[in-house]
Amino acid sequence: MATEVKLPRLGQGMESGTIVRWLKSEGEQVAKGEPLYELDTDKVTQEVEAEASGVLLKIAIPEGEVEVGKTIAFIGKEGETVAVEAPAPQPKVSDTETVSDTVQEPEPKRVSEPTTNGRIKASPLARRLARERGIDLASLRGSGPEGRIVAQDVETPAPAAARPAAPVPTGEVTSQPLSNIRKTIARRLTEAWTVPAFMLTVSADMTRANELVARRRELEPDVRVTVTDVLTRVCAQALVRHRGMNVQYTEDALLSFPNANVGIAVAAPQGLVVPVVHNAEQLSLSQIAQARGDLVGRARDAKLRAEDLEGGTFTISNLGMFDVDQFVAVLNPPQASILAVGATRDQVVPVDGDLHVVPMMTMTLTCDHRAVDGATGAEFLKTIKTFLEDPGLAL
Amino acid sequence: MPELSYREAVRDALATAMRQDDGVFIMGEDIAEMGGSMGVTSGMLEEFGRERVRNTPISEMALAGAAIGAALQGMRPVAEIMYEDFMTLAAEQVVNQAAKLRYMSGGQLTVPVVFRTQGGAGWSPGAQHAQQLEAWFVHIPGLKVVFASTPEDVRGLLWSAIYDDNPVVFFEHRTLYGIKGNVPEKIEPIPIGKARVHREGEDVTVIATGRLVHESLAAAEEAEKQGVSVEVVDPRTLQPLDEETLVTSVKKTNRAVVAHEAVTRMGFGAEVASVLQYQAFDWLDAPIERVGAKFSPLPFAPVMEQFVVPHADDVLQAILRTVNKA
Repeated sequence: MATEVKLPRLGQGMESGTIVRWLKSEGEQVAKGEPLYELDTDKVTQEVEAEASGVLLKIAIPEGEVEVGKTIAFIGKEGETVAVEAPAPQPKVSDTETVSDTVQEPEPKRVSEPTTNGRIKASPLARRLARERGIDLASLRGSGPEGRIVAQDVETPAPAAARPAAPVPTGEVTSQPLSNIRKTIARRLTEAWTVPAFMLTVSADMTRANELVARRRELEPDVRVTVTDVLTRVCAQALVRHRGMNVQYTEDALLSFPNANVGIAVAAPQGLVVPVVHNAEQLSLSQIAQARGDLVGRARDAKLRAEDLEGGTFTISNLGMFDVDQFVAVLNPPQASILAVGATRDQVVPVDGDLHVVPMMTMTLTCDHRAVDGATGAEFLKTIKTFLEDPGLAL
Repeated sequence: MPELSYREAVRDALATAMRQDDGVFIMGEDIAEMGGSMGVTSGMLEEFGRERVRNTPISEMALAGAAIGAALQGMRPVAEIMYEDFMTLAAEQVVNQAAKLRYMSGGQLTVPVVFRTQGGAGWSPGAQHAQQLEAWFVHIPGLKVVFASTPEDVRGLLWSAIYDDNPVVFFEHRTLYGIKGNVPEKIEPIPIGKARVHREGEDVTVIATGRLVHESLAAAEEAEKQGVSVEVVDPRTLQPLDEETLVTSVKKTNRAVVAHEAVTRMGFGAEVASVLQYQAFDWLDAPIERVGAKFSPLPFAPVMEQFVVPHADDVLQAILRTVNKA
């Protein structure tokens, strides 16, 4: 009896997912725990592992959006036949018939080849992957011998601008279908925009925080602590001291969370993602640095799992590395607040009647006014400033 | 597990079969007192006598014909053709008679004969005594062709060849006679038509035969140091070919190198490349690389002989080309 592979629910609120590609072909041996296909949810693209061992008898849904719980493939013994429920967009096919004569192959997506350039050099594997993912080979740059497009170029495409042969004609509008992640960003931030929010701005003297970062790097060169890690630690400590900030507004109740799960906004190649350092209030600075390094690395490689993105109670968005002085972040719902961090700059500051040059960093806290009042936010922000200026207080 | 040399493993298969089965006997040039040019049958005359360890005149055509005749009469002869270069002299009997009789008689006749032969470069035997001609015989319907590369394989496969009801051309590589390896206590027949995966890897599959199996394993070690994971597969039987194992491996790694000592042009590797490109076309991420001897008669001068035949470094360079690191 063949095992049905069903689309799993990988996180709370997941209703459907988009199958990007299968990592195994029909007829291939599959071992339990081996990556079987790539799934794009509204949060993340991840590899899903096989739940049974055997032969991949039939891929019922080669690609596209599928509801949670739907059968997408069968794993069983060599030669076994399976009854397949036809993919939803093909209503003519009845529910249970044998595989061989009912399952229609999806229309292969047309890969447009440029007319100016003649044939594109690509390996057979690269061509197949591009076909399966609907990627236009002309948009890729080949890294193989004599510019041949190989599988890796399809999997991690270089920016199209780097391809000298086919420049995008100026003045022409190009249209690119929205990725799931882009759709999610748009939906959630539009939702956030309707929330009554207020913003509070403060600047902190970063002299001691910078010394702390430098000293940690000396002591543990392998871990490489950053200002973002200090901020994560400081915010987590401030959140547990200001319980009224670690909350979420819902229609009929205010939820208050026991742990400080601090999200860090990351500009991943596919768009903005916010992986979460869970229970950050219990982690040391170097533990936070390690967790952050792992999450950011995987975010950039599109290897985040659903659980990495869940459960955040607060978000830090740091654009200091882009030389932004200060900015206002949009809330990351359902969280009640988000901290927008700018660059640290030397500024002339009067201290006891003298002028001193001090490294200053400006932060803006955006709060959901339905859940948090101005004074609560201001006290919280004051604590963050105090901890940054005297990190020993955050112990 | 006992350890045997490749030479002892061949002898063990022959002697064990002869002890248990009166129908099995060996014949060839100088195989009795001299023990054959490579010493494989040394000592067998004393145990089995002249009737079953038969010296023949220096005529490969005659001795091949006699062996075929004995096989037709129900015996299981193992004929030794001293050098595979001399298979050209036996070819009429092997190609036109042994390979065809079962077919032409509508199955009334079977020809359970084994032609053992050996060759290969390494000792500078010159252009007429070191060729690798296995591809010639793979081209003939009606023959099975075996080329074993380890003591365990050579013993188990020779056993299966002796007890196969079809003519088998059994290639041994001269430079492998001295290598040692563990073998099962009791002879375990290795099925004809089953490849062996010597080493698992992720990035490139090297399909190699004979001496090149060992060269490829050395190349794989070196490639690993450079971050390239190499799978090494020895088909062991060239006909019938275990296409499934080869194709499965290449579907996994997406790249292939075929390596043998014979010249590449019309070599066995050409056939393997053809099988792979057809059955794994959509899985290939690089052209299939072929490693073999340069298209030249083998030179006598040792340095030139080494120049003509392939070594581990040639396999390594081919591996690196497939991953665009050469």
